[in-house]
Amino acid sequence: MKFEFDIDKYNPKLTIGIPAVIFAIGLVIVAISFGTCGLPVTPGIDFAGGTSVTIYTDQTQDQVKEYFAGYDLKSIDTGLSGGYYLKFGPMDNDKMQAFNEYILAGYPDAGINQIGASFGTTLQGQAMLAILFAFLGMAVVVFIAFRNLIPAITVVCAGVADVTITAAVMNVIGMELSLATTAALLMLIGYSVDSNILLTTKVLKRQGNTKEKFAGAFHTGFVMTTTTFCAILAMFIVSLIGQVQTLYQISGVLVIGLICDFFFTWAFNAGVLKLYLDRKNPQKKNSGQKAKAAAAAVSAADAADAEKSSDNASQAQKTQKAQTQAPSRNRKRRGGKR
Amino acid sequence: MRAPVQKKEKKEYHGMAAIIRDPRVIIALVLLVASLCAIFIPFTANYNGTNLQFGLDLEGGSWIQLEFQADVVTISEDSDVNKVADSMSKALDCTVKAIDRNKIEVDKKFTQDELRSAVAAAGGTFISSSPGVGSETADSVKRTLESKVNSLGTNDVKVNILTGLGGVAQYVRIEMAGVDMKQAQEIVGKQGLFEIRIQTAGDQTEHVLYGDSVIAVQNPTKTTSGVWGVGFSLDNNGAQLFRQACIDTGATTNPSAHNINMYLDGEEVYSAPLSPDLASSISQSPVNSLSASTGTGDQGYEKAKELEVHLRAGALPVEVKIAGSGSTSAVLGDYFKVICIVAALAALAAVALMVYLRYREPLLVIPMVLTNMTEIVILLGVAVFIQQLDLAAIAALIAVLGTGIDQLIILTDEVIHEGLVPAKALYMKRLKRALIIIITSAATVIIAMFPLIIMDLSTLKGFAIINILGILIGVIITRPAYGKIVMEIMANKKTKN
Repeated sequence: MKFEFDIDKYNPKLTIGIPAVIFAIGLVIVAISFGTCGLPVTPGIDFAGGTSVTIYTDQTQDQVKEYFAGYDLKSIDTGLSGGYYLKFGPMDNDKMQAFNEYILAGYPDAGINQIGASFGTTLQGQAMLAILFAFLGMAVVVFIAFRNLIPAITVVCAGVADVTITAAVMNVIGMELSLATTAALLMLIGYSVDSNILLTTKVLKRQGNTKEKFAGAFHTGFVMTTTTFCAILAMFIVSLIGQVQTLYQISGVLVIGLICDFFFTWAFNAGVLKLYLDRKNPQKKNSGQKAKAAAAAVSAADAADAEKSSDNASQAQKTQKAQTQAPSRNRKRRGGKR
Repeated sequence: MRAPVQKKEKKEYHGMAAIIRDPRVIIALVLLVASLCAIFIPFTANYNGTNLQFGLDLEGGSWIQLEFQADVVTISEDSDVNKVADSMSKALDCTVKAIDRNKIEVDKKFTQDELRSAVAAAGGTFISSSPGVGSETADSVKRTLESKVNSLGTNDVKVNILTGLGGVAQYVRIEMAGVDMKQAQEIVGKQGLFEIRIQTAGDQTEHVLYGDSVIAVQNPTKTTSGVWGVGFSLDNNGAQLFRQACIDTGATTNPSAHNINMYLDGEEVYSAPLSPDLASSISQSPVNSLSASTGTGDQGYEKAKELEVHLRAGALPVEVKIAGSGSTSAVLGDYFKVICIVAALAALAAVALMVYLRYREPLLVIPMVLTNMTEIVILLGVAVFIQQLDLAAIAALIAVLGTGIDQLIILTDEVIHEGLVPAKALYMKRLKRALIIIITSAATVIIAMFPLIIMDLSTLKGFAIINILGILIGVIITRPAYGKIVMEIMANKKTKN
């Protein structure tokens, strides 16, 4: 249970690089989806039109399939409680009315939802706009909260990446974009910045040892995310067993998103913040003797060189050279710092 | 067991005494009690164990969404919008009316190219068109549908006009609780029997014509003298019948003795004599365009709106197409309700367990979970008045439960170190810092949810509203109160130790 989050143990390049690669893969998947269907995730009935039917029966799946033979059955999902969730392709109004009667004749307690294709298209446009506005709004809030370009961009990136990867995962596991999953993605935009804001605020705005600040933020953030995760997971499991689509879809997306979020906060954002802090006040870096030696040289060096020089001694020497080459500039800087 | 009380003008309290005297705690408790009352005291018409309003997917019922087969065309302002509308109406052979200085409603479906050339032919400059109708037509559709479903005696019906992005009414959604799909379609498609009769002598009346002779009904208009009325047109046969009846009964010579009565499904909806002007012109030749006046002022206007609906006899002023429909049986709704309750309880249990594993301190865990529950109860209490709960809203509720506990954890970790509470000044400083983090992340969730509220077409308003409300209640009411409670509890514990 006791796990110490030691930011100095991890190479920031890896903690930034790996999530960045995953983000890139996610982006490609979402882009392919955009290319094929004009939406980030394959649209379900809400956006493409069609009919969904929820029934609870003792019949086997084959019996249910047989009843609906002759109709455009796209998929059939089963819960553990004898629930079936069937999806049918779009059909015109007259056929739909007849179909309604046919369903209710066989399964009087069925739940039916039918969306016309044109209404679906209208919804698509609105949903995309909603997502766009949510991203913009989130970015504005984050910028106002931090008034500091790099941390703000990082938090926004983490949020965008989180939603993108979640959308990519949905594509991969065959979860469709419905109104419910759109809502969950929007919520994720808000959720994903939650722990990022905690981390960034604690690390940037507080006094104290960087390592301890990271560890403290992680400790809180870990409990936070796991608690939310457990609440959502409980909803997911119950709705999966009970076969309640709306709850299942929303909680499913949130479960995926929270896992992504965890990764992006504590690997990506933490890595960027670490680099950012090292650049801002390099002399505070105090992990190991090598680093200390480098830090001494770096403290006077140009900020742009600081990141490279902290990595190995040879670079430290290089900067030392630079230091002797430009003594007047360095003195001035040092003076400014004191 | 108490810290020495300093000599201050204000008496200092500690422990429970301090908690229940704190204004933040008092507000939270008062709201908790008020919410419980709002939920459980039967004061609403739909009281059913609770006052909570449930959506169709939990209560059972049907919805039908209709799409207007019409367009709103925007033209440039340099041409006379009324003239363009008139000439388009003739060219397109349908109702075309100006609804704004530069907007024209075309009550039939055409392609954009057709509309563009029709506007050009009418001497206007086409700018854009979007599917839907103006607000006047939308209102009239809403009234017509409401009067239809109300005639059935079910009052649990909602008719909502859904507006697209351009501010043009595009759809109308009808939700009927406790009605199955077949019934719902029958109700919406139902046409009433409209009849005009004329008074012969005393309370005797005679049939003149049925609603099939009425070919067009206009929106209420006001004459220069301030009298409201509804214009309607009869086909040639109807006009002939009307004239004959007026002459036969003597209404043309003595109008005041022979009222013209209108009935919808056998019920009188209008009764008035011919005006002297009309009486004289009708005696000479058939009149196709008539106007039924309803009086002056707001009352006249209300009556006119009602009469318009009756004249249409349930027919909508614009053609519609079913854009979507759905139904949930009562059995399924009840089942969903059970699952929702189980899911919420499971989530609460999961949260309590996680918090316990983290802090292993009942003095912290119990207030935390109670605060979380208070938040949910207040949220439900508010929802009684403003938001029906559907499945998506329940999902939001459970998510709020998760985020709520999140923020209590931020708060707790911020103010407590090594299980100890710092001195009051430092505590308040830390509490403030924690609240800043909480408010920032609350602001992002609220802003991310906001588009869903504006997104009129979707059924996700409930999800967004419950989410935003939950966050606001947490940030404004329960979290500050929790901060106070934790401080006192931990301070008390410290002094005990």
